[in-house]
Amino acid sequence: MRAMVIDDSRAMRMILKRIVAKLNFETVEAGDGQEALDLLATMTEVPDLALIDWNMPNMNGLEFVTKVRADARLREMTLVMVTTESEQNQIVRALAAGAHEYVIKPFTEGAMIEKLALLGLVPSGASS
Amino acid sequence: MSVEVLVSADDLTEMVDQVWLSYLDPEGIDPLVATGDEKQPTEVHAMVSITGSWHGHLVYASSTAAARKAAAGFLAMTVDEVGEEDVTDVLGELANIVGGNVKAMLPDGCFLSLPTVIMAPESASHHPSAHRISGLYGQWAGEPVSISMWQSVKPEAGK
Repeated sequence: MRAMVIDDSRAMRMILKRIVAKLNFETVEAGDGQEALDLLATMTEVPDLALIDWNMPNMNGLEFVTKVRADARLREMTLVMVTTESEQNQIVRALAAGAHEYVIKPFTEGAMIEKLALLGLVPSGASS
Repeated sequence: MSVEVLVSADDLTEMVDQVWLSYLDPEGIDPLVATGDEKQPTEVHAMVSITGSWHGHLVYASSTAAARKAAAGFLAMTVDEVGEEDVTDVLGELANIVGGNVKAMLPDGCFLSLPTVIMAPESASHHPSAHRISGLYGQWAGEPVSISMWQSVKPEAGK
């Protein structure tokens, strides 16, 4: 399986990449929503999962989710917001826009893997 | 006029404990130990601003050694491998994470800025019309680390 990690923080991208690598995902990364869309436009195989920060320059995570949901080619991609935005109304906005799941920073590796397991994205035999 | 809201040192401590357990000290053996020393020297700092229904700043400051140790922990590298770009990225993310959680305690309608990182002591930054409302001052592996919250006070109309 393949995951796209979208965050303007290289440190956070690295943490997320480490986690999904343990679940045997191949990863690609982008520093903001626009870069992610540009990258997706060049890919013949759409990633199974996108982990998306909210507050990023150029295009934020909510805009990215909205654009992905409007694109039939990308509709199979599972979208998980990974963000410090923890207010209830923000969570509702993201889910209403089409995010499947919502993870609030800071998160532990175990908590992230649990969320992905709930989405059926943890292969049997993968690290947990 | 900003709404008067206090985010206490205990609130900051709770958030920072979560950050440490999540990224910097998952085994729980190397925590940030509060000392309350508000005058401890720092060498680098990162800041996020909050605007909207509340105005202020969240500042994360530390020694260079603590910043490099944090970067090494986040990026899974040794301290010797850490470069300045690594430090700025990680300090910015630390300020962003704590600032985002602080924002959740404030009235609805607040917005968080992208982080700014300054490779200079916290005293090099000035926050006009702002006063510190809470702070966590401590040591991490013998190095100073602080997280403080500043509230901007808007002048009343006509003054």
